[in-house]
Amino acid sequence: MAEQDYILKVNDLKTYFKVGKKTVRAVNGVTFDVKRGKTLCIVGESGCGKSVSAHSVMQLLPVNGKIVDGSVELMTKDPETGEMRTIRLDQLPRSGKEMRQIRGKEIAMIFQDPMSSLNPVYTVGSQIMENLRNHEKISRKEGREKIIKLLAELGIPNPEIRYDQYPHEFSGGMKQRIMIAIAMICNPTMLIADEPTTALDVTIQAQILDLIRKMQREHGTSVILITHNMGIVAEIADEVAVMYMGRVVEFGTLKQIFTNPLHPYTKALMRSVPVLGMKKDEELATIEGSTPDASTVFNGCEFADRCEFATPECSKRFPVDTVMEDGHRVRCLLFEEGHPNAES
Amino acid sequence: MLKYVLRKLVALIPKLLAISLILFVMMDLLPGDPLTRAMNPDTYGQLTEELKEQYREAMGLNKPLPVRYLNWLGNILKGDFGWSTSTKQNIGNMLAGRFPYTVELSLMSVVIGSFLGILFGYIASIFKNTIIDYGLTLCSVIGVSVPNFFFGIVFLLAFAVKLKWLPTGGRMEVGGATDFFHRFKFMILPIMTQSIGLIAALMRYTRSTMLDVLNRDYIKTARSKGLREATVNFKHGFRNAMIPVMTIVCMRIPMIVGGSVVVESVFNYPGTGQMSLTALTAGDIPVVMVTTMVSAAFTLAASTIVDIVTAMLDPRIRME
Amino acid sequence: MNRKQGRSSLTKRSLDKFFKNRMAVVGAIFVILFVGACIFAPLITPYDPTRLVPPDRELPPSAEHWLGTDRVGRDIFARILYGGRMSILIGVSSAIGATALGTIFGCIAGFFGGKVDRVLVTIQEFVSIFPSTLLIMLIVPFVGRSVPMMIFIFIITSWGAPMRIIRGRILSLKEEPFIESCRANGISGMSIMFHHMMPNTLGPVIVNASLNVAGFILSEAGLSYIGLGVPETVPTWGNIINAAKRLDIIQNTPMLWVAPGVAIGVFVLAINFFGDGLRDALDPTTR
Repeated sequence: MAEQDYILKVNDLKTYFKVGKKTVRAVNGVTFDVKRGKTLCIVGESGCGKSVSAHSVMQLLPVNGKIVDGSVELMTKDPETGEMRTIRLDQLPRSGKEMRQIRGKEIAMIFQDPMSSLNPVYTVGSQIMENLRNHEKISRKEGREKIIKLLAELGIPNPEIRYDQYPHEFSGGMKQRIMIAIAMICNPTMLIADEPTTALDVTIQAQILDLIRKMQREHGTSVILITHNMGIVAEIADEVAVMYMGRVVEFGTLKQIFTNPLHPYTKALMRSVPVLGMKKDEELATIEGSTPDASTVFNGCEFADRCEFATPECSKRFPVDTVMEDGHRVRCLLFEEGHPNAES
Repeated sequence: MLKYVLRKLVALIPKLLAISLILFVMMDLLPGDPLTRAMNPDTYGQLTEELKEQYREAMGLNKPLPVRYLNWLGNILKGDFGWSTSTKQNIGNMLAGRFPYTVELSLMSVVIGSFLGILFGYIASIFKNTIIDYGLTLCSVIGVSVPNFFFGIVFLLAFAVKLKWLPTGGRMEVGGATDFFHRFKFMILPIMTQSIGLIAALMRYTRSTMLDVLNRDYIKTARSKGLREATVNFKHGFRNAMIPVMTIVCMRIPMIVGGSVVVESVFNYPGTGQMSLTALTAGDIPVVMVTTMVSAAFTLAASTIVDIVTAMLDPRIRME
Repeated sequence: MNRKQGRSSLTKRSLDKFFKNRMAVVGAIFVILFVGACIFAPLITPYDPTRLVPPDRELPPSAEHWLGTDRVGRDIFARILYGGRMSILIGVSSAIGATALGTIFGCIAGFFGGKVDRVLVTIQEFVSIFPSTLLIMLIVPFVGRSVPMMIFIFIITSWGAPMRIIRGRILSLKEEPFIESCRANGISGMSIMFHHMMPNTLGPVIVNASLNVAGFILSEAGLSYIGLGVPETVPTWGNIINAAKRLDIIQNTPMLWVAPGVAIGVFVLAINFFGDGLRDALDPTTR
């Protein structure tokens, strides 16, 4: 696959937090990439580091969080020469000019809770305008027209009136549409959606997902969607990264992950999801045990304690990524070359 | 917005009436002849019993309570608050001479104190956990812990007695110009003393509110737009932090107005505080009552202004 | 059994948090030192704070009179110790009284809600617009100047803040699922009030009360300074400073106002640190 087909490459990213005297390794060597115009879903239980990975890409970490290792590369068009170039996002100063030009313009983000993500004291229109005028030279009048057009596209009725209203006059689903409008107004090359539907009613969830898909189709945006919901993954993903305890344990296309899950964790995850046509007496599987504390120090595979296929060796050394012939990647001793149980 | 302002102003009316009613009832319950308070005590002393009765009849002092209240309210609106037995003046005239000074002092203290307190709190929150933050926080803790008249005495000694930069007290130079800029140097020390508590309290509160607001999700949204840090902090953080801070300003206004009694006493500043203190020593209760009620009305008006400012900051309040 | 364990571990965690806060511990130590010194004043100083010794007037600090003497020959150090007794007594009793009164009103307002709540809140809001110093000036001529009256005046002019805190807590507690589940389980209203809601409001109320002690000591000083506090014959920190009102005394006998001023400042500072530490320790959301 040609190099420019990738829009974002995250390689062995490590983000640690200082909490008191302890160091929490929230993201501990995460590798994934996003293809142009495609959707990557990052799935995992809460606390597995999926959100922190996304925030690391944008360098939107809290002050006690720091990228300590690895790289984040963004492929982007140089605004002057028009040539493609690679920017190392992890090396840019956190709130420096370059990083700020990327935020909102190249990469935009929508968050989990639309209720609290909009500033209550400004009209929604002005909050969208803020992003637009921050990155583009455009008059207020033209900007307003452009925003109203986008609001209409996002299915907001009476956009001319809604433009001048305040967030508290909107419902949750409508607020999330406004968040999408803020994110999409500058036509970003990539959109990161951090659990965009978790806080919404089920009926609204589907609408918001449809809108994200529509935006992606019409604007050619690449999407990273973070979720813990396998149903959403099945619906929207092109590729899937499964995370556990700060690491990507399995990475592959939607088809690979759903029809041929390799990692025991992914398998367990798939079994715990209800599917249509399940028999009445068929029980949903649960994953034994609970997620370890984030500050636990491991000497081997983090999942070993809960894994039904674990061997004594599993807790003694860290597994390495194994790439299958079809590009399907898994981080498990069982699949490492030379392992007696290695299947393919 | 205009609707909100109008509503707030209309809401003032019953409160002001309640204040006036309390004042009236309290005055009415005072022992002694109400006529002494309704007319110049000097004239009263020269009247015969018969004439006194005629005066009572003419002034409506024998009428039922509601009628007397309305009469009295009418007099107040004309500036006649009754007569002081100790100074033999109409309390309305006494107030006219003193109240503006106290209002001037209180308002300046509130405005300057709020500005500095909020500014220092903002700086402390931006430089969280640095030496600047610790220094400002320490100052504010000391500021709320030491009685303000103690600061007053220290300022008096330092700036007026030792350095001789500012006058030790009073209101204006005898025979000097009376315009604002000439009077201002008499107000500097009282304002400093008066506003220290407000500065310290607001600093602490602004700092903690700012830190709280900067953790909100919409701050992350603002950052994700690629705005400059200063814009994020000020436009998105500060503006929201101001809303709860304004409630503290509101709560502190009565304390400032009441504190003026002490500060006026330290600096010999001829406001209503000193006036009612003198009246109190002379046993002239009506003066104290009227001053308290007028100060309450002033506090109410000042709080309403702060409420309106809060509504300008917060659309949710404006529209509710 | 279980509940008891849960509570004691919560207490332990709060204590741990408190002791980790260095300023709070220093504050607590200072508070204890001050209170101890004031209670045991007769053991610390041989002087009687009220006895006039005219020949010894306005002595500078010396080995005999650590902080010198005032204009009528009383030992300033002794006056500060004995004055502290009274100031702290006034502060603590007023804080307890105001908190109790505020708690009662707050519970009634929060628990009954509706009209009762609106009436009480309106009254409280209305009372709060009266500057308390002026209100006190109005009350003093009717009740006279004495220590119990001072405490009484403080209580009736400052129950507003604890009432607002309690009311707010109870209103938000009412929405909590655990209170709803109490109600669903048929626990009576009074029992919910006293067993489930009150304990949950204690934290902020204790913090408010401790900070109020500081506030009342400052108010007492201010009122005594303008001659509205307790009678001059009773030594309090405010009354000691009250003697230093004329400019010549301020300049010539600095100990007369610096010493009690510093005493008030340090004690109130200690209470404030202690109260802040308590606030953080009792707040389950901070670690």
